[in-house]
Amino acid sequence: MIRTVLALSVLSAAPVQADVSRAVTDHILPGFAQFATHAEALSATAAADCTPAAVQPAYQAAFDAWLGVANLHIGPSETGALSIAYWPDDRAFTPRALTALIADPASRDPATFAEVSIAARGLFALDMLLYDPAFAGYAAGDATCTLVQVVSADLAAQATALDAAWRDAFAAVLTSAGAPGNATYMTGDEALRALYTQLLTGLTFDADMRLARPLGTFDQPRPRMAEAWRSGRPLRNVVLSVKAAQGLAHALTDTDLPLTDAAVARVEVAASRIDDPAFQTVTDPQARLLVDVLHQRVAAVEVAIDTEIGGALGIAAGFNALDGD
Amino acid sequence: MTTRRTFLAALLAAGAMPRLGWAAVGNPAYLAAAQEADGTFALFGLTEGGIETFRISLPARGHAGAGHPVRAEAVAFARRPGTFARVIDCATGRVIRDLTPPPGRQFNGHGVYDPSGAVLFTSEQDAATSDGVIGVWDVAAGYVRRAAFPSGGIGPHDLRLMPDGATLVVANGGIATDPTDRTKLNIATMRPNLSYLALDGTLLERVELRPDLAQNSIRHLAVRTDGLTGFAMQWEGEAGIVTPLLGLHRRGTDLVLALAPEADEIAMQGYAGSIAFDGAGAEVAISSPRGGRVHRFDDTGAFLGAVSRSDVCGLAARTGGLLASDGLGGLVAIANGTARPLGHADRAWDNHIVTLPKV
Repeated sequence: MIRTVLALSVLSAAPVQADVSRAVTDHILPGFAQFATHAEALSATAAADCTPAAVQPAYQAAFDAWLGVANLHIGPSETGALSIAYWPDDRAFTPRALTALIADPASRDPATFAEVSIAARGLFALDMLLYDPAFAGYAAGDATCTLVQVVSADLAAQATALDAAWRDAFAAVLTSAGAPGNATYMTGDEALRALYTQLLTGLTFDADMRLARPLGTFDQPRPRMAEAWRSGRPLRNVVLSVKAAQGLAHALTDTDLPLTDAAVARVEVAASRIDDPAFQTVTDPQARLLVDVLHQRVAAVEVAIDTEIGGALGIAAGFNALDGD
Repeated sequence: MTTRRTFLAALLAAGAMPRLGWAAVGNPAYLAAAQEADGTFALFGLTEGGIETFRISLPARGHAGAGHPVRAEAVAFARRPGTFARVIDCATGRVIRDLTPPPGRQFNGHGVYDPSGAVLFTSEQDAATSDGVIGVWDVAAGYVRRAAFPSGGIGPHDLRLMPDGATLVVANGGIATDPTDRTKLNIATMRPNLSYLALDGTLLERVELRPDLAQNSIRHLAVRTDGLTGFAMQWEGEAGIVTPLLGLHRRGTDLVLALAPEADEIAMQGYAGSIAFDGAGAEVAISSPRGGRVHRFDDTGAFLGAVSRSDVCGLAARTGGLLASDGLGGLVAIANGTARPLGHADRAWDNHIVTLPKV
């Protein structure tokens, strides 16, 4: 069990006890197991009835579960997360790839579907197939209906593989940080640092991508740059992602996190004031203002976590990653 | 500033005291610079096993360096836009000479000695135009500037000597930069190339990327003993496009571009910071500190796999595989795709590992 007492930061009242093992056992592994369960349910639902109305609820539940672990981009998720959630897609690779798949029956072979472009796989392929008018008008028996089944089955296979890879292999890499032979995490602090980085990177993604993109500028809001707007998920994704970060922060530390919890509560209040969960009304100045407030509240969570945990960890951005040459 | 007097003093010093070979500093296989925990910088000699053989303070963060093939003497280049390079006696830590580029020129972070150690070649650019220049320094005479010739492109970065000992290969990155900082000025029109030059500056061969990859800056090089050149690239174009970050070239033939699977390539974040062939020359690896990954390919450009390590950048050949260094202070041996820790210190290893010639 990894238990590291970190140096006191100026702002901390007590030493932060960090516990990578607990974060893995109590937060990360249950999150992947839950996502695998929901992805399998989605695949079973689509296999039984692939029409949009039948599949949409299972898709929404799977996406909810994904947000519990979507902020993690280490280990199996380093590449695995990309083919589950391919976004942003500014060059519209997803609709192009899906159109090509619908036109060519051979390309929809479930046995080889893992080799198609990642833009045509995962949750964002389903967002488009199940909700975009250009795709979602299909009926049972249509090529698109088959494609929904293939994408759902592939998503379930990915979720199962990711769950297994975390549980059976990478969890031990994290919890054995500093042990002889561990070339990924050479000290206990490195595993902690890796998880903490995921936490903050996830919140930055919420602020900079999920919120700042649709906000655009006051003169030019960009509603279509919201994440999964077709399936009405932009607001929900922000809230669930922030709550996942809060959960990981608590699992990672022993101390109370009153600033973090208060900041997350303010995110939820700001979220409750937003009428359109898809952020499609940001073109209206009043509606945009409410999303802008949410953006500020999410940024404040980052500050709170940095204050309560990060300062003690002494985390700085990469020495070489930022150099650029 | 170099005056006639300091120049003479350096020459005299060189003549008066024959310098020691690498054996005198523990026979390091590599040179690597790092930032220490207290914020200062130093240059280290390292064995293949990652053991330090010497440590010498540096005045500031460097980029890369070059090791004299015979004497325990190294030149450390400043980061771009560089106004100095420091030649250091690795046995004593004494500064042998500070090299300054001619007025209006900048060092671009890399240099290489000829196999005898008589001449040092430096990668430079015209500060105003970013036109590439290779500087030629007479080492025996005390690092006297003897000549300069065009590098064959804009913004040269890494350069290497080919196994024939008579040809330089230069990574002309293609990026024109502001004379006072690293602001990039010509991303829309950049055209990087790989140039092969005779030691008198004659352009022997120049290879360019296809037009849709023109924003892929060719920056770092590794040359295998049979002349196969590997080059690592950094994508300057639109985000979200998957581009190859490794190229292979053999003189007189077409370029081979090496692509990893889509998700792996995305995880590299369009950036390769270092490149090296492994000890056997069977595989070639590139590193991405941004992605925290090393990608391995075979010598035909087929993807072999990835190794994950935060802020990894330095790469060098090692018996049986590769050595990787990172900003968290780790030294990792990679053999057949398996990573094994060699050592960890409370310091941040810099971008590059310089391999010294085996004696």
